[in-house]
Amino acid sequence: MRRALSLGLIAWLGFAEPAAVLTKADEKVLARKSWWSFRPPVRPAVPAIADPWVRTPIDAFILKSLREKSWSPSPELPRAQLIRRITLDVTGLPPTPAEVEAFVADRSANAYEKLVDRLLASDAYGERWGQKWLDVVRYADTNGFELDLDRTHAWRYRDYVIKSFQQNKPYDRFLKEQLAGDEIWPGNHEALVATGFLRAGPEHLVGGNTDKEMDRQEVLVEMTAAVGGAFLGLTMNCARCHNHKFDPILQADYYQLQAIFAGAKGADVPIVTPAEKAAAEAAIKAHEARVKPIKDQIAAIEKPYRDKLKAEKRLLLEPKFLAALDKPKEQRSEEEKVLAKNAESQTNSTWDEVVNRIGEPDKSRRIALRRQMHELDLAAPPPVAAAYGVENMEQAPVTHILKVGDHKMKLAPVPPALPMAFANRVEVPAGVAGRRKALAEWLASPEHPLAARVMVNRIWQSRMGAGLVRTMNDFGALGERPTHPQLLDWLATEFVAKGWDVKAIDRMILLSSVYRQARTLNAEKMKTDPDNKLYWRAHRRRMDSEMLRDNLLALSGELNRKAGGPPVRVPIEPELYELIFTEAEPDNLWPLSKDTTEFSRRSIYLLNKRTVRLPMMTNFDQPDAMSSCPQRASSTHALQSLSLMNSAFAQDRAKAFAARLEGSCGKNQACQLKTAYQLAMARTPRSAEIALAEKFFVQGGKLEEFCLALMNRNEFVYLP
Amino acid sequence: MSSSIFPKHLIPAAISRRDVLRGSAHGFGALALQSMLAQAKSANPLAPKQPHFAGKAKRVIFLFMVGAPSQMDTFDPKPMLKKFEGQKLPASFGKVSSQFTDGSTPILSSPWNFKQYGQSGMWVSDLFPHLSQCVDDMCFVRSFHTDSVVHAPAMYHVHSGRILMGFPSLGSWVTYGLGSESDNLPAYVVMPQPEGTPEGGTPCWGSGFLPAVHQGTVFRSGANPIMHLKSPMAPDRQRRTLDLLQKMNQMDAEPLDSEMAARISSYELAFKMQTSAPEAVDFSGESAATKSLYGLDEDRTREFGGRLLLARRLIERGVRYIQIYSGGGPVSIQWDAHSHLKKNHEKMCGMTDKPIAGLLKDLKSRGLLEDTLVIWGSEFGRLPMSESGNGRDHNPHGFTMWFAGGGVKGGQAIGETDDFGLYGVGQRYPMRDFHATILHALGLDQNQLWYLHNGRNEKLTDFGGSVIKEVFA
Repeated sequence: MRRALSLGLIAWLGFAEPAAVLTKADEKVLARKSWWSFRPPVRPAVPAIADPWVRTPIDAFILKSLREKSWSPSPELPRAQLIRRITLDVTGLPPTPAEVEAFVADRSANAYEKLVDRLLASDAYGERWGQKWLDVVRYADTNGFELDLDRTHAWRYRDYVIKSFQQNKPYDRFLKEQLAGDEIWPGNHEALVATGFLRAGPEHLVGGNTDKEMDRQEVLVEMTAAVGGAFLGLTMNCARCHNHKFDPILQADYYQLQAIFAGAKGADVPIVTPAEKAAAEAAIKAHEARVKPIKDQIAAIEKPYRDKLKAEKRLLLEPKFLAALDKPKEQRSEEEKVLAKNAESQTNSTWDEVVNRIGEPDKSRRIALRRQMHELDLAAPPPVAAAYGVENMEQAPVTHILKVGDHKMKLAPVPPALPMAFANRVEVPAGVAGRRKALAEWLASPEHPLAARVMVNRIWQSRMGAGLVRTMNDFGALGERPTHPQLLDWLATEFVAKGWDVKAIDRMILLSSVYRQARTLNAEKMKTDPDNKLYWRAHRRRMDSEMLRDNLLALSGELNRKAGGPPVRVPIEPELYELIFTEAEPDNLWPLSKDTTEFSRRSIYLLNKRTVRLPMMTNFDQPDAMSSCPQRASSTHALQSLSLMNSAFAQDRAKAFAARLEGSCGKNQACQLKTAYQLAMARTPRSAEIALAEKFFVQGGKLEEFCLALMNRNEFVYLP
Repeated sequence: MSSSIFPKHLIPAAISRRDVLRGSAHGFGALALQSMLAQAKSANPLAPKQPHFAGKAKRVIFLFMVGAPSQMDTFDPKPMLKKFEGQKLPASFGKVSSQFTDGSTPILSSPWNFKQYGQSGMWVSDLFPHLSQCVDDMCFVRSFHTDSVVHAPAMYHVHSGRILMGFPSLGSWVTYGLGSESDNLPAYVVMPQPEGTPEGGTPCWGSGFLPAVHQGTVFRSGANPIMHLKSPMAPDRQRRTLDLLQKMNQMDAEPLDSEMAARISSYELAFKMQTSAPEAVDFSGESAATKSLYGLDEDRTREFGGRLLLARRLIERGVRYIQIYSGGGPVSIQWDAHSHLKKNHEKMCGMTDKPIAGLLKDLKSRGLLEDTLVIWGSEFGRLPMSESGNGRDHNPHGFTMWFAGGGVKGGQAIGETDDFGLYGVGQRYPMRDFHATILHALGLDQNQLWYLHNGRNEKLTDFGGSVIKEVFA
């Protein structure tokens, strides 16, 4: 190992001396490669269990482990609840009462299979999976940090992800496109858009003398972390500062992996024909021409006030600054030039100083003009269409190992290479091109020990509520070992054998008896296996924030199923508006579309702004898009209750839900109750529930108040 | 803290007919209910927790001066600057580049005089006529440093230990470690400047990868202190709707199900918060003398003083951690004096000096200062060289923050900067030491306070800091 590495380095760098030599300590780290997840999965035999409960190979593995404990699985969920669970799960949306009724009534042997196939073929399937993948890659529509500017073209990556799941793109292709679409399929717009994966993380962009090398290092750290988390299921960035404390990853490995991205830079690459480009540019020019006269008028209103402020500030200048300023430019000494420049900046005014001075009628005129300008901007033509992706530089800068990750403390240079602990490493080209392609092809090779395991584990978790490896992004030694290693390996090998077919694995899980179990409570089993590692029942799952919002809109009948396109801003609370950072004039920080039906789009299409999170969504554990989120948290606290009871969003949905019920039932209370329960819970109300509601109405409770209570009810908020 | 996190009046209601039936059939009943309540309690992530060891401080008020006050004009006197006024920084310092200047601008001496105050003789500039009276309770640390010359990353560094966005903030770690002593107010309260948010924005009080329950809650003065607090419905209508909801939720609850119990309880807590939060912001019970102590009777101090008085009222009611910002929004309402240092600092100190002194005095007279840690600080300090002739650019290399209360030994200054106030010399303290020290004051061991996130045991102090032991008595 030592010799091979050194020779490789010498050849690549042309160095006389080996640039990196493995120490004894390094070799000890690498010896950890016998860890299970670094060995390729071996396909186990499916346990032979003759039991009608076994519908799929999955069931055989689970039942075997349950029988070892002399436990039996939980009974199957009743049909109405089953269709509610699977429809929410697969589409993120509720089943319609007609769908529930049809499924409950369908006595054919393959009724459930037909349901599964219908749901897997729906567009909503891709939207639901899209959200999961966007969580993993910490997708957002803005850069983060103080300016947090919009990424105008990022949404095309979001749409690409949704479409890929809808079309059941083979996962190996999906992986390759995101890592190296530009290298492997040059000229292919979709593959180029896919490389937005590498730019999905936050990026610090700000003015002034920032440390460019540090900024670049952060970009590379984000790219490397993304690959580690999303595809490898390893905490590569633990090795940024030192050899990994638990896994067979050297600090050199980390920087060799980083070197694979050293030649890649973020670029908004146009994806239009010359004619389209010309048309888009012409439209932009025309728009600017429309706005210019308004801008000029605003400037004209401000000018006298600005000038007056300047004159006043001039009087306050210390004599040396004033003297320098008064001297003709060409006569100023070097020192006076500096003083004059300082004097200029001392006499400048900030926007608020100027605005606070403007009196009527100028004040109102200016406000009206700015409003007019913002209105025009709402209708601004889109920029020239581009992929928010990456492209290669002319030459890749040399990558160094950095002492404690500090870009100022460069140690040995390293070549681009794959982590040493893996047996099936491939050569990574030394030149700038093809590095990412090599990485992608290595990851997507059938023998790769991690890529398939990590993805089948994600599919499993998304349906079952917990992964076979519970630490979704960490298959290393600090992560948890798989609860069912053989099942994991069987699924991983099946996945690859089926051509990396996501839907096939998904379908098998959904068809399994394990998936169809009820969420029974059992004191003894809960004591022995509180985390349900044996899958003796269904996991408790609360709707995530997006599902909750989408369901409220579906319930009220307002959901706008329009798909794709630029992200949507929804109305926000004034308190939240105040928290948007700006040093500029705080008007028009959150421009809203004139088309209010846009506000009822699915949550995946809402603007995901890193520093401005929608309060109800964060209260329900929406991740902050700063680091990979492989699995949503599910916390319970009072602020959730406040937003789901009192926010304008919740209150408005309750009103619209009530209006919908009145629309279909008139004043017929029994019909209203029945319909409400059918829509919200996929079932009819029980007699006790009817009595409770009737009493509520007799006491003066309104229908919209009943609707609000229903929207807050545990049964509604949790998956069956 | 009430004896049960589960509201008392819910207990009889929770024994639904279903439970009684189940009780008779399966031997549950009262026993099952008790276990349900215990589970609701254990499921409450904000239940008070024991610290790792006995800490003097029980709670924190962190006063954050947005935009960075200048250390050599406030608490770290540098007479040498007078001597070098208008000259360049000695070449021995090397190249000192900041966000907007390159180190070539001349030295600017402080426009203010420094004097010694108190028994301890601590040096304070003329900017703080009130706070200078409290120096015997204040411990200055003059050689803190952060890792960025840019506001937002440096703010993240002070708030969360990293220059990156997205890590849990100090207050999140504290409530994660200690829970809350209030069951009807947020555990972690944030009060920004009304004119706008600090440059780092809401991630400054975010919970990062910690559960959302640990994020800071913005608290405002006025009738609606917390977002979504107030129901648009009439109170009787709201209560009736809530009762309906709770009855339905009890139908869904089962004795073994702690999560359902916790959810039922969260609605009652929310309802209680609707009365307790407006009660907290109601100052009508405060004496004129107290209001005057905080500067509520003067225009320039009224707003900030009001927030500090509110802070005292909140900690009295069990709030664990309060983050208060002086400055935010337009540059003219920040401490970011790139030009017009004199005008800027006079304005910002004028707004905060009396209220902060009032807070310290008030806490002390009520016996609250003993177990309340008060921190004053910022994302960095400022350079000894000038910018625009009469301002200063950012300096993360050595700057002052101070502590008071919560077991802190007042009347001392720890650490120092060089003769120009540019770099910390001798013992310099990174943010991880700052954080380790705050956790220590609260009885929390930085190494025991961790959270597993994506395969790593994440800690506030990352690689670990050193507690600045000298801070404590």
